[in-house]
Amino acid sequence: MGRYILRRLISVIPTLIGVTLIIFLFQRLIPGDPAVAMLGEHATQENVERIREQFGLNRPAFLDREALADGDLTGFFDSQYIRYANRLLHFDLGNSIHRRIPVVETLSERFPATLELATLSLLISLLIGLPVGIASAARRNSALDGVTMVGSLIGVSMPIFWLGIMEIMLFSVFLNWLPSGGRLSTGIVITPITHLLLLDSLLTGNIPGFVDALKHIAMPAIALATIPTAIIARMTRSSMLDVLQEDYIRTATAKGLAERVVLFRHALKNAFLPVITIIGIQAGTLLAGAVLTETIFSWPGIGKWVYDSILGRDYPIVQGVTLLIAIIFLLVNLIVDISYAILDPRISYD
Amino acid sequence: MAEINPQDTEIVDFAIREHRSLWLDAWRRLIANKIAMLGLFVVALFILTASLSHFFWKYDPKSDLDYSSKLFAPNLVVTEDAPAVHIFGTDKLGRDIFRRVVHGGWNSLRVGLVSVSISLAIGGLMGLLAGFFESIDMNFWERVTLMGLLGLGLGSLSAWIAAQFFQIFLFSGLGIFSVVFQRWKAGKKVRILAFAVMGMLLGGVSGLLVGPLVGLVCGFLGLGVGMILARPLGGKLFSDVTMRIMDVILSFPSYLLAIAIVAFLGPGLEKGMIAIGVVGIPVYARLARSAVLSVSQKEYVLAAQAVGESHGRILFKHIVPNILSPIIVQSTMGLANAILSAAALGFLGLGAIPPEPEWGAMLGDSYKYLSSGAWWAVLFPGLAIMLSVLGFNLLGDGLRDALDPKMRI
Amino acid sequence: MEPLLSINNLKTRFHTEDGIVKAVNGVSYSMKVGEVLGVVGESGCGKSVHALSIMRLIQIPPGEIESGEIWFDGRDLLKLDNNDMRHVRGRDIAMVFQDPMSSLNPVYTVGFQICEALMLHKKMNKNEARHRAVELLTLVGIPEAKRRLDNYPHQFSGGMRQRAMIAMALSCEPKLLIADEPTTALDVTIQAQIINLVVKLQEELGMAVMWITHDLGIVAEMAHTINVMYAGYIIERGNVRDIYKRTLHPYTFGLLGSLPVIDEAPGTKLISIPGLPPDLIDLPKGCPFYVRCTYRVDQCKFELPPLMESESSQHTVACWRWQEIDGKGTK
Repeated sequence: MGRYILRRLISVIPTLIGVTLIIFLFQRLIPGDPAVAMLGEHATQENVERIREQFGLNRPAFLDREALADGDLTGFFDSQYIRYANRLLHFDLGNSIHRRIPVVETLSERFPATLELATLSLLISLLIGLPVGIASAARRNSALDGVTMVGSLIGVSMPIFWLGIMEIMLFSVFLNWLPSGGRLSTGIVITPITHLLLLDSLLTGNIPGFVDALKHIAMPAIALATIPTAIIARMTRSSMLDVLQEDYIRTATAKGLAERVVLFRHALKNAFLPVITIIGIQAGTLLAGAVLTETIFSWPGIGKWVYDSILGRDYPIVQGVTLLIAIIFLLVNLIVDISYAILDPRISYD
Repeated sequence: MAEINPQDTEIVDFAIREHRSLWLDAWRRLIANKIAMLGLFVVALFILTASLSHFFWKYDPKSDLDYSSKLFAPNLVVTEDAPAVHIFGTDKLGRDIFRRVVHGGWNSLRVGLVSVSISLAIGGLMGLLAGFFESIDMNFWERVTLMGLLGLGLGSLSAWIAAQFFQIFLFSGLGIFSVVFQRWKAGKKVRILAFAVMGMLLGGVSGLLVGPLVGLVCGFLGLGVGMILARPLGGKLFSDVTMRIMDVILSFPSYLLAIAIVAFLGPGLEKGMIAIGVVGIPVYARLARSAVLSVSQKEYVLAAQAVGESHGRILFKHIVPNILSPIIVQSTMGLANAILSAAALGFLGLGAIPPEPEWGAMLGDSYKYLSSGAWWAVLFPGLAIMLSVLGFNLLGDGLRDALDPKMRI
Repeated sequence: MEPLLSINNLKTRFHTEDGIVKAVNGVSYSMKVGEVLGVVGESGCGKSVHALSIMRLIQIPPGEIESGEIWFDGRDLLKLDNNDMRHVRGRDIAMVFQDPMSSLNPVYTVGFQICEALMLHKKMNKNEARHRAVELLTLVGIPEAKRRLDNYPHQFSGGMRQRAMIAMALSCEPKLLIADEPTTALDVTIQAQIINLVVKLQEELGMAVMWITHDLGIVAEMAHTINVMYAGYIIERGNVRDIYKRTLHPYTFGLLGSLPVIDEAPGTKLISIPGLPPDLIDLPKGCPFYVRCTYRVDQCKFELPPLMESESSQHTVACWRWQEIDGKGTK
């Protein structure tokens, strides 16, 4: 088992290098001089030079062959990408152009908000998607199944930014039940422990704080959970249906087991395997979807931050957050693979 | 009673029912599926309105501006307050939302088609070849091409460092040479050593012409290239490399990558199409590869190989028709996805540039005016996105049921 | 003596998009306690479906048991509610399926899957069940049973899996064991071992066995009675001797003819039955074997022959011309 995990970890390395390459190449996509693009068109020549120096933009992108021809081996490797990779190894994602503070600093401030939103959405989608999927597979072609199938297709087709807007319109503008944005009302203080407000308020026994945080997170969480819920329900259903066709299900029934036992003991464990993969992919969808959801609900997480940075052309932030999300996504998929191996005895570990 | 001889009996096969082609069968199943038909209807309506309005209903977004009719609620009859009929109301610039929604369909249709074509053409082909060569041995000329290209690719680094472009042809030649002398089995170790030395000489000697250090670096590179080329590499390598690249693209959550690409490229519908198309490539590559892998184990492919049909023929006569179903289903759903992603980009201000009518951008424009209660300005563009996406998804779902051979009894 | 199992006019259908597949068309027969019954026929003749109908394992929909009675131990199984039926399955009637490779759940150990039935029907606790499972695995000839208990099915070979399936089926000492082509997916040598195993266990435990196969050769050695099925009908039924020595139905003839016989002179051709079985959606009005039959007359085309008694009440046949055929097939 340990060897399997190790091998799987090693196989992540080339992918990770590829990811950093792609993110590095983003810079090259910027039309015109990236230094000018970073500073805006009214930048002084001096500032442009400073930025070039700071980001090594005056160095070649990958390798410096002229330095090599001059007999300078270190100069040969002193390139933009190597510098970028070196900075990454030191957890340095650069500085925000506008606020001049390290990206990593703001990231650690903003990430808990996104983590809280994404986790809650994932929980919602699992709590709804799994039972609904199992039930509609068990009662194939029933009314419930029909509703699930159509409902989940509508869910998959839902533009979540539109859903968010409609939620605000209904619950905030017309009914005035829920706040339209933010994480917490002004005047409410929750002592930070984990920086996840729902958890912190519970840990400190702060009930008004919990209710207020819940009111704020409800709409964005539901909007964000829509697509994953639909996909998990569909996947669970079709995976269950596949498994229910299997001979060993017939064997289990022939043994005299109750339908409930056949369904939950014999079918679910097998059907769950492909669903795990889908759940892993949904983690990515949630993080990417956060850009839209957080924008609409003014949720102070990394998604809204990316959006603001895109509008403000603050490229280091966009690069940094994209990298972070890609790494999280890779890690989640790694965990999925490992749990797959644990759940399925047929996969050998070495 | 007279004995009946076995020879006299005519054989009637009741078991063979009326012969139907697979596609006709699928079509019948599709039209029997009410939900799929609903999807087809929505898709047809969407395509028709989008293209008809584009060609026959002139609309100039740049001159469409009328502050006097700002934010009118939907009305079906002309009254004193509303001098013209706006069935979807008007937006903050007094533009008729119905007109913009209808014209926005053309942009969504374009995005969908173009980006799916990009993903399908590149991803599908890569997956097809990867799957094919993973399961079927390359023949001599394919191997020559692969190794030649590999030499070309690997050698280009050395060539670039020394600024001697003839080097890439030398390495390419080394690759071809390794195939021609594939059967030369003077011991695996000797073979690798020989090619390593050859590579080192190729890189090192030509590098020395520029400078000693360049010669050293190119020599080492050549050594590595030679060792790689000495191995009997085949289709598995091609497949591995292709799929690794796909893995890298897939390690970004789907449209986050599109958002990031467009964030750096700058906004624009065309850039959005490219970004969405690129992000979709691995989906089709993986799908095509796994479909080919399962099909190429089938007896009819083995039979075609056994009678010595050419690889091109096997690929396009036997394999492609048999993997079409999943590709068709995926493309239909891919259209839905592309429309959704394009709308998301537009909403974030990264897609179509205003005043171009595009659903996502229309939403992005209007949602800031929500507190004024102008629900119609966000309801209708959003509905248009959802319905068109839903239409493609319903159709794709129905197609999967119709084309899935498991359903055949 | 009261029969163990008595089936009366069983009809099973499947509703498909092409029409209604009439898989079992009014099957009636009975089985005694401890009897070994062979059910023989080509694939698609309804032999498996009728067995699954007894266990009520037909998927509904698309399947439907249209009519009939299945009396087992004084109760009509078709009238039991689901809960009562569960107690019949596994405890009174057990079944072994065709493909051992897919009949065991891959994510649970073999031991767990055997213990499951014991814990359910025998109300054993975990330890007792494990103990019994070891005995059962030893009984069916799996060496090192104790260690093997914690193996997953993919660590077993095909023959071993089928042995494990038999152990599972026997765990609650059923009164009837239904074996649905249990050896078809196995190697010939393994086949013989499994057959001998079941014969031995049948004698030891005194249970009734229904052995479903397409191979007359297999049941010849073990069965007391044979049902020959065709297109969802029983077309001939009798004890083994009668079926082999006084074959009455042309189809049974064909089945026997397509068996290779070792002591036949070299060069003798195997007789094969021409044509294919009829479409179960669109059954002919008359005898279902009509188009393939070498003895057919016009009556066969329009009138369905019922299962009628021949020279003895034990030997029944559904053919209008059985009297003419009688004796012709004697080798």
